[in-house]
Amino acid sequence: MTVRPASQTLPTSRRLTAVLQQIAQVVVGKNEPIRLALTCLIARGHLLIEDIPGVGKSTLAQALAAALGLQYARVQFTSDLLPADLLGVSIFDSRSNAFRFHPGPVFRSVVLADEINRAPPKTQSALLEAMEERQVSQDGETRLLPDPFFVIATQNPVEQIGAYPLPESQLDRFMLAIELGYPDASAERDLLAGGDRRPRLESIAAQADAPTLREWQREAASIHVAPALLDYVQALLAASRGHAAGARSERLEGMARRGLSPRAGLMLLAAARAYALIEGRAMVVPEDLQAVFAAVAGHRLAGGARAGAALAQALLRAVPLP
Amino acid sequence: MQATAARPLDPAQIRALGVLLVAAQLPLVVHLPIWVAAFGLFVAGLRFALLRRDGRLLRTRPARIPSWALALFAVAIALALRKSYGYFVGRDPCVAFLFVLAGIKFLEIRTARDGTLLACLAMFVALTPFFYSQSLLGGLAMLPAIVAAGVALEALARREPGAADPSMRSAWTRSASLIAQGLPIAAGLFLVFPRLATPLWGLPADHAAQSGLSDRMAPGSISELSLSDAVAFRVTFDGPPPRPADRYWRGPVLSLFNGREWRALPPRPGGSLARGDRPVRYAVTLEPDDHRWLFALDLPSSLPVADSGSVASSGPVASLARDLQLVTRAPLTRPLRYVQESILGTRHPVASADELRIDARMPPGNPRAVTFAQALRREHPGDRDYIATVLRWFRDQPFHYTLQPPLLEDHPVDAFLFDTRRGFCEHFASAFVVLLRAAGIPARVVTGYQGGEINPRGGYMIVRQSDAHAWAEAVVDGQWQRFDPTAVVAPSRIERGLYGSVPASDPVPLFARGDSGWINNVQLALDAINYRWRRNVIEFDHDRQRTLWRNWGLDGFPAWQAAAVAMAAVLAWAGAVFAAFAVKRRRGERTVRLWNALCRRLARAGLPRPAWEGPIAYASRAAKRWPQFAIAFGAIGDAYAMLRFGPVSDDERSALVATLARAIEVLPSPAALRATAHT
Repeated sequence: MTVRPASQTLPTSRRLTAVLQQIAQVVVGKNEPIRLALTCLIARGHLLIEDIPGVGKSTLAQALAAALGLQYARVQFTSDLLPADLLGVSIFDSRSNAFRFHPGPVFRSVVLADEINRAPPKTQSALLEAMEERQVSQDGETRLLPDPFFVIATQNPVEQIGAYPLPESQLDRFMLAIELGYPDASAERDLLAGGDRRPRLESIAAQADAPTLREWQREAASIHVAPALLDYVQALLAASRGHAAGARSERLEGMARRGLSPRAGLMLLAAARAYALIEGRAMVVPEDLQAVFAAVAGHRLAGGARAGAALAQALLRAVPLP
Repeated sequence: MQATAARPLDPAQIRALGVLLVAAQLPLVVHLPIWVAAFGLFVAGLRFALLRRDGRLLRTRPARIPSWALALFAVAIALALRKSYGYFVGRDPCVAFLFVLAGIKFLEIRTARDGTLLACLAMFVALTPFFYSQSLLGGLAMLPAIVAAGVALEALARREPGAADPSMRSAWTRSASLIAQGLPIAAGLFLVFPRLATPLWGLPADHAAQSGLSDRMAPGSISELSLSDAVAFRVTFDGPPPRPADRYWRGPVLSLFNGREWRALPPRPGGSLARGDRPVRYAVTLEPDDHRWLFALDLPSSLPVADSGSVASSGPVASLARDLQLVTRAPLTRPLRYVQESILGTRHPVASADELRIDARMPPGNPRAVTFAQALRREHPGDRDYIATVLRWFRDQPFHYTLQPPLLEDHPVDAFLFDTRRGFCEHFASAFVVLLRAAGIPARVVTGYQGGEINPRGGYMIVRQSDAHAWAEAVVDGQWQRFDPTAVVAPSRIERGLYGSVPASDPVPLFARGDSGWINNVQLALDAINYRWRRNVIEFDHDRQRTLWRNWGLDGFPAWQAAAVAMAAVLAWAGAVFAAFAVKRRRGERTVRLWNALCRRLARAGLPRPAWEGPIAYASRAAKRWPQFAIAFGAIGDAYAMLRFGPVSDDERSALVATLARAIEVLPSPAALRATAHT
């Protein structure tokens, strides 16, 4: 474990550590992805997980919801999924002689949108709009989504036939994109020995509730960012656009499709603040930025979490600290 | 460019401009009528109030006063000034108008262009107090305005309005330090930048600004003058100053009398310089009084020469009139310093018979005095005898020397001599001359100053308006001789000055009291500083500059070489300032120095830090390599991260720097570290 500043004993940090421990009981050997998922939730972003099936994506989502005491819904995206299936529908009620709205699965706090690239673009964009606006407008009526509202979308990077891959502009809506990856040998052994993990989900004790989570989100947003760190963020953004000499060689290899937008910079800072809160610091240090950088920048630079992560690491090593 | 100029000002910019304006206005306030000062400041305050209201109500459109109302304001102010001063084209009303207009301009500024205009206007307003006084105090009073100008210009130059509003305090410090850095350059240019031998323009002066003695004397005019503390002139003597009783500073000579008022003849050239074996040599710095005469002790033995260091400059600045007045060609509007020699003596020859004719005229009016004089003259036919008798009569009769004589109506000399018998020097001199003329002896009134206070701190003499005096001259044995009837009635006036000779109930100006109270001491010290300031800074002109160059051996060089040397010096200073900045930035604060030193040490010990690695990650890597120092490395990483990226107060900062330094001290040398590395 790295040496942390003395401020680690912040009460929020202790409670967040407890949340992480609860999740880690179920999702074994994935400490860093779990930490990033929680970071994303506290930074009020949405998470994209790119991975093959069977590595525990939905378990992670469910465990996260359970540990935080939030309502959870899972939607399997298919090629015939319609926006109404997602958002909800108004049905005529003959008794009251009026239309009644039946809310869809997006009216839950944690929504797992499984294999989002299988649904047609219309449905995809209905979800993405809900993510952005945090409200649903239907039949001329606007309904607020719950707060917190956190979408975990998964995408299978391998099977792309008959799928609708997310366009780049939609990818930008996700604050973080991560891979879960195969568990390491000991964790896999543990997994095999322990049998099915699903029942264990029942044993997770909720460590928080929606108001507490909102409080944590506010606390994260107020974490101090020094001017020197802003310089660092700017240098990273400039390097991604090929302005800095260090990143030019990477661009020449054709890995980066485009540079990072100012919005990416804002999301980087928000994620780094949330990460610092989990680490128990009252300020963001470069290590926080570096910890979230690959997840924030990867899918924006290369359109895929894996290719992007390598590029992001190269960028980090090319830009010196201020 | 157009877009920049038309950009609206944000409240912070308007506030900075307002502070500049008020700082420029305040030193001027003492020179203005109270209603102008109050109105100008009120207008500036009004804008501040509007700004506050805008801030409170968060209105989208700022409150504004319509421009026609402002124009109306301006016209009304101009008319009021015309009424208050009695004229409009002149220094005082125009400065007052500028003062108020700058305030009105501040009321209506909206855009960046307006802001620049107001900044220029305010800087001009800040200069105007120097039209009145160029004292050191005036210079110091201008300092806030100069610093405020820097702050306002910086605020105006901000590209994004409202964005990252830098704190007011740091802007002030920045502006002050910029000005401090510019000071050596200004001082260098002051010394070496070539000056014009004659100024391009004169200081505008209003006719109302005349002060001091005049070429007329009516009862009460000198006693009024005696109530003023203002400095008339300052004198430095080569050698010891003359005794108090010999300090007669000769000014306007008054020969024409109309029964009530004395007037001077137009000056006629042809006065002859006195000769003597022991002349007193001295230099006089005369305050500008808008008059044409200079002052010298008793009998001038040289013509006054402008003093400019050691270089004797072109010719005398004044000529000697027949009645021994020193007269300049033009009224004095700038301080003048001249070197003068005098013979101390009370007698000088008669210049012409013409002179005697005018000065022996029978005085008009005052029949009782004439009758009295003629009766007395019959008893004492000898001139000397008669004059001595008159002086004795003054001494024996109950005459009182006072600053508050009763008002004299018709025939003032009669009333003074026989009824009231209370008067000031002008009464005595006037009555004395009337008695002599009525007896057929040519006589005239001489005005000037008598006395002067030595300032021990500067070794010079201050002569104030309260030293103004009037005495008499009469022709005895074919020569003019000085008689001072005041000295007979109140000898202490001549020996001890005004304060020692008038009744204690009379109002006497503070500094004429001559007691050694602390106020007087402070005042003398201030006067000494101001005198040096004037001598060395204000009066540093073309000639003084040439003298300085000669003393430095610079005058041998051609002008272009001197200019090149000066430019090189200025560039060297600017380079030094920039270099200091560069060094400071490179070395950074102590924190960064300590951290960089630590990184170098660990690199030598075999653990270099990649440029991208953060402090906590690096420290924890080091802690893994050398577990025995894990605590020290933890403290180093924490402290540096806090200092560099954390929100730290000044107290915490010094404590953290100390922690960082101590933790680094704990570590052994790179070689020892290398030997104990845990791999």
